[in-house]
Amino acid sequence: MSQSNKITCPDCGAEMNHHAFKVDYGSDHSATLDPVYGATLKEAHACPRCGRIELRTAGKSKRH
Amino acid sequence: MSDRPLFIPVILGTARQGRASENVAKFVFGEVLKREGVETELIDIRKMKFTTEDAGEAIKDAQFSATCARAAALVLVVPEYNHGYPGLLKHVLDTNLKEYIHKAVGVCGVSAGGFGGTRVIENLLPVLRELGLVTIFWDVNFSGAQKLFDESGGLLDQSYVRRVDKFLGELIWMSKVLRYGRENVSI
Repeated sequence: MSQSNKITCPDCGAEMNHHAFKVDYGSDHSATLDPVYGATLKEAHACPRCGRIELRTAGKSKRH
Repeated sequence: MSDRPLFIPVILGTARQGRASENVAKFVFGEVLKREGVETELIDIRKMKFTTEDAGEAIKDAQFSATCARAAALVLVVPEYNHGYPGLLKHVLDTNLKEYIHKAVGVCGVSAGGFGGTRVIENLLPVLRELGLVTIFWDVNFSGAQKLFDESGGLLDQSYVRRVDKFLGELIWMSKVLRYGRENVSI
């Protein structure tokens, strides 16, 4: 079960589904560097109604 | 299960003049067009104008990104150059990320020799995986590509029709499953 906050589709207003975590090595990490991955961890969301996709920065991992 | 049509573009992965892959891409595109419930377009990377002064998402092309975002899957037609994939194709693919995650991809390898791009497909798989794409276990290998088509671009070896049929069948199946997963199965 997804631990992220749900987001609303900006196109149709439906609740989007969080279906993946993806490390993004290409983006600017200055503000979003995850200490576990050394890059930015992102969440992939998709709208079940219109298919729109979104990628947003996930919360940072905690070091153990 | 969504009843929206699947959009599966075919990407011609080389800009080289005299490319045999062009006939291959047109043939595969024609086969995708025949599929019920599938929409497509043929994308030629030669027509894209990406700068070489930067790379990655910093040089995103809005139209190409929107096309990939809309896509349920991609078909890549990729020639093998020196056992590898064209650098321009990599440059183009690297401009997107979110547009690819949990989407299907199928690769048609093209070579002048007898192996039909087997090596380029094997080299490309890790790249596609890192981009978040899900590769299928069917490939199509177009060997001796310069001799597969007549002067007007007509396919001479009809066995490729059946090979592409199986390839597209698997790609479409994976496209449907992944679309359902993206939209309904939470991680």
